Amino acid sequence: MGFGDLRSSSGLKVLNEFLTERSYVEGFVPSQADVAVFDALSAAPPADLCHALRWYNHIKSYSSQKSSFSPRLYHKFPNMQFSSSITSPNIRELRILFMLFQEDEEATRIKEERLAAYAAKKSKTAVIAKSSILLDKMEECVRSIVMDGLVWGQSKLVPVGYGIKKLQINCVVEDDKVGTDILEEQITAFEDLVQSVDVAAFNKI
Amino acid sequence: MAIRELSSLEKYLGLKKPNKYTTQGDRKVPVLQNNNGPPLVGLVTVACHLVKESKRAELLGSSAESRAVVQQWLEYRVTKLDGGSKEDVRTILKELNTYLEDKVYLAGNQFTLADIILYYGTHSLIVDLSVQEREQFLNVTRWFDHIQHMPGVRHHLPPVAVLRNRIYTGRHH
Repeated sequence: MGFGDLRSSSGLKVLNEFLTERSYVEGFVPSQADVAVFDALSAAPPADLCHALRWYNHIKSYSSQKSSFSPRLYHKFPNMQFSSSITSPNIRELRILFMLFQEDEEATRIKEERLAAYAAKKSKTAVIAKSSILLDKMEECVRSIVMDGLVWGQSKLVPVGYGIKKLQINCVVEDDKVGTDILEEQITAFEDLVQSVDVAAFNKI
Repeated sequence: MAIRELSSLEKYLGLKKPNKYTTQGDRKVPVLQNNNGPPLVGLVTVACHLVKESKRAELLGSSAESRAVVQQWLEYRVTKLDGGSKEDVRTILKELNTYLEDKVYLAGNQFTLADIILYYGTHSLIVDLSVQEREQFLNVTRWFDHIQHMPGVRHHLPPVAVLRNRIYTGRHH
């Protein structure tokens, strides 16, 4: 998510700035994105950040209806700097639950972190994927993706909770030859096995 | 003008049969001739009647306090906005801006008829504002953009483009 650490005053300032012209975090109706940001806040914003405070009070007034907000559309916010410190357990759970209800199949997620390190010649990406059944089959499919400049590394299964495990697989990618977008596309092409893809970590080497 | 607003309101409320309106007086006050009883005169009167007819009473406010606030803003529309002159426009916008600083909707946290009627009323004012002025009345702009994106509200009025990236921020980055 894109606001920085919402527990710090700089993160709150970014949120306030964002909400100056918007009533909600995403679009024009309350959504799970609002719930996610609301939960990430430890307390009500101070009175001098009037827009954040207005939004906070508004979302608070929904109290019980929050679970029925529409699901969030974007995984990242436009024009915002990327920082993963907001990924609190609450947000992940929201997303997982939503996916469970939607499809009862394996879910793969690679979370993409756009760093300025795109200029790097070689970068190592660790891919986190979530899945529940037929993990071997899925791993095979993922490894079958062959591209120039892409080398698959080791993989492991990490339990996520609610009986779901995620497939985390490493790969070394040469930025000039392989872009993470293309890789993501190829992985999600296995529609039956893969629900979504996210990049967990993205390091330069 | 008022008649177009009322027919837009009918569309938003989903009323099947459009009513026939007439006007009276120089100010073109809308009149709805009811079959059952005496004619309803006045934008606010007719609007409230339409809302009740469509069984969307929550649009008039859910608590006693919010009902009072809705009525207050409906009256504001008729007395200040329609009756006011060009010079009053700035005062009106300033008042709205201060009021909307801590509220998402006019009645607080709920979308009501007051938002719709005031949206219709302020549309012509907002359209005439320059970009700089729109940033001056940021809260009004925000509220206006929000209301015009609500499904079904904007029928006869063109959408007003609200700049997302502010030009005049007053801060140096």
